[in-house]
Amino acid sequence: MSPERAAGSIQVEQLWKRFRSDKAPRALRDRVLTMRPGANTADKFRWVLRDISFELVPGDAVGLIGANGSGKSTLLKILTGVMYPYAGRYEVNGRVGALLEVRAGLHGDLTGRENIYLYGGLLGLSRQQVTERFDDIVEFAVLEDAIDRQVKFYSSGMGMRLGFSVAAFLEPDILLVDEALAVGDSFFQQRCLDRMRDLLRQGTSLVLVSHDMAAVESVCRRGIWLKDGVLQVDTDVRSALGEYRTWLDDAYHTWIDETSGEAVFRPGTIDVIKAEVANATGGLPTSGKELVVDLVLDSPRDVEGDLCVGVTEGTASPMFIVTEGTRLREGRTRIRCTIPHLPVAAGRYYLWIEFDSGDGETRIPWQPTGPFTVDGRGLDRTPIGVMRASAIQVDASWTAPEDA
Amino acid sequence: MTSPAPTPAIPDGPPESIRFKRRNPVLRAPGDIWRARSLVRSLAERELRALYKQAALGVAWAVLTPISLMLVLTIVFQRVANVPTGGVPYSIFAYVGLVSWNFFSGSVTSGGMSLVNQMPLVNKLNCPREVFPLSSIAVTAVNSIIASFVLVILFVINGFAPKITSPVAIIPLIVQIAFTVAITLLVSCTTVYLRDLRHALPIILQLGLFATPIAYGLEQIPEQWRPLYSIVNPLGPIIDSYRETILYGRMPNWYLLGLGTLSTLVLLIGGLKLFRRLDMGFADVA
Repeated sequence: MSPERAAGSIQVEQLWKRFRSDKAPRALRDRVLTMRPGANTADKFRWVLRDISFELVPGDAVGLIGANGSGKSTLLKILTGVMYPYAGRYEVNGRVGALLEVRAGLHGDLTGRENIYLYGGLLGLSRQQVTERFDDIVEFAVLEDAIDRQVKFYSSGMGMRLGFSVAAFLEPDILLVDEALAVGDSFFQQRCLDRMRDLLRQGTSLVLVSHDMAAVESVCRRGIWLKDGVLQVDTDVRSALGEYRTWLDDAYHTWIDETSGEAVFRPGTIDVIKAEVANATGGLPTSGKELVVDLVLDSPRDVEGDLCVGVTEGTASPMFIVTEGTRLREGRTRIRCTIPHLPVAAGRYYLWIEFDSGDGETRIPWQPTGPFTVDGRGLDRTPIGVMRASAIQVDASWTAPEDA
Repeated sequence: MTSPAPTPAIPDGPPESIRFKRRNPVLRAPGDIWRARSLVRSLAERELRALYKQAALGVAWAVLTPISLMLVLTIVFQRVANVPTGGVPYSIFAYVGLVSWNFFSGSVTSGGMSLVNQMPLVNKLNCPREVFPLSSIAVTAVNSIIASFVLVILFVINGFAPKITSPVAIIPLIVQIAFTVAITLLVSCTTVYLRDLRHALPIILQLGLFATPIAYGLEQIPEQWRPLYSIVNPLGPIIDSYRETILYGRMPNWYLLGLGTLSTLVLLIGGLKLFRRLDMGFADVA
């Protein structure tokens, strides 16, 4: 730690980390075997972090995003000090509060009260400091009289609330959080976000690792996207999430044929020949304006059923859906669906469709037909710490009448 | 439509010049551990609370183990082998050795496994990792102190009083603590990498119980071998010094105790060094 750096700042320079790639547990037996002359002693390694450099100033709130195995947790462990890099330099200045796994420090045979003191000690608080915060911690964790019960009789939610509460009242210079929010109910998650927002306001720096993009977007101002251990993007959180999402879609949705670039549809008994999204004049759709969906479906026989068209942000859960009872002739049928005011903000979205005839046989399974870009108005600002369920943007008129 | 960012050109590996190195790991160790002393206390307290909350007999276990061993040794060695004790009741003679041996072997057993058993905590908590074996030693020390009260009872039953030189026993005690810490550190950090040690350790300690002058005296070892023996097994001169000062009213054999202290110091520094080196990979292998 160098004194000239401000508390709450982090410097990371050219960080490299590797793991042994033979994952089998290494026992004495193996050591003896490899000691034989001529035995292959060369270890195989794989890089999990490659040439990572970034800097955090006090008060920064950074979301670390990336697919599973991209090195997020490894990076966080190095910053916490439980793991060491192979090469590079890093400096973490100030008191670190790390929440790598909130239940790790709790002991089942002890009561909640005893655990608060123990865990506080583990996180670097003195007995006196824990006593000062004791009531706040218990209140925040919503434990009430369970506080004198053994922790092994707690529900998993209670244990994790206890863990988070102790750490949240540490008042660290830097808070490192790894997926801690995933366990609690939505009420408690909201309280955690509130608490993080309070800490941010007090000048605490935050590094948050989470797959919950809404949570990342709501708390963090900056986003760092790691891909296979390489820093891809370090920019404002919305752009970082946007680029990450785009990559996710391209990587995991295989409906785009790689050679032709055409959409590949999942086989149903009805074939999707064409699915196009455009504005009224055939150009790029615009937020708040008319959206036209043109479909061509090929059915083996005359059939009646419900046709659903939905718009999603990439996942299977749509932001909105429109459904119409539809009759398909044998052969190809053209269908046009017009939405007069597209309620989504500018960005990249996906069209999903489904057809269900109700007889369980003739149908199109719920599937994406491809991405499309929306132009025009972006999303309005959200208060920090507030999660937006989806990127819906509607028009509003504002006035300030004189007679209040 | 935005295309995914192109992967920037990254070399296959880092240049050797930027290899990560810890600054003065061994020199910093004592300070790091001292700053984390409250953590040692918390962990030991947690262990003790949990230990005595669950066991029906509670504290009694700390006393029952050495007493039962003492009874066995008394029957086997005194009645059958008739070990000379120089006029000291055999039960007292054996118990002094047993309490100190139990402190050592208990520490090495629980401390040696402390990192492996608490891996989730070791992996999530930024602290000098020495606190885990050290807190195990602290727990064993508390048990040993409880077990020592039996010695008082034995003194009363046998109508035997500890000698005036007893306070000198603090010197071998310090050496024993250092030796116990050294071995516990060595065992705990290697066990993380070589899990087989878990099975080998009880056997080695079982042998140690008989290779150490517990049931018999140090003078049973041929005179010319005693210096070498003291270097290999510092517990020999340590236990002998306890007996000399508490039971016989004599000063310890400074020469042998000094040799034991010397090898203890070497082991302690080596233990810290190895621990600090292996420590850097704990989170990688667990």
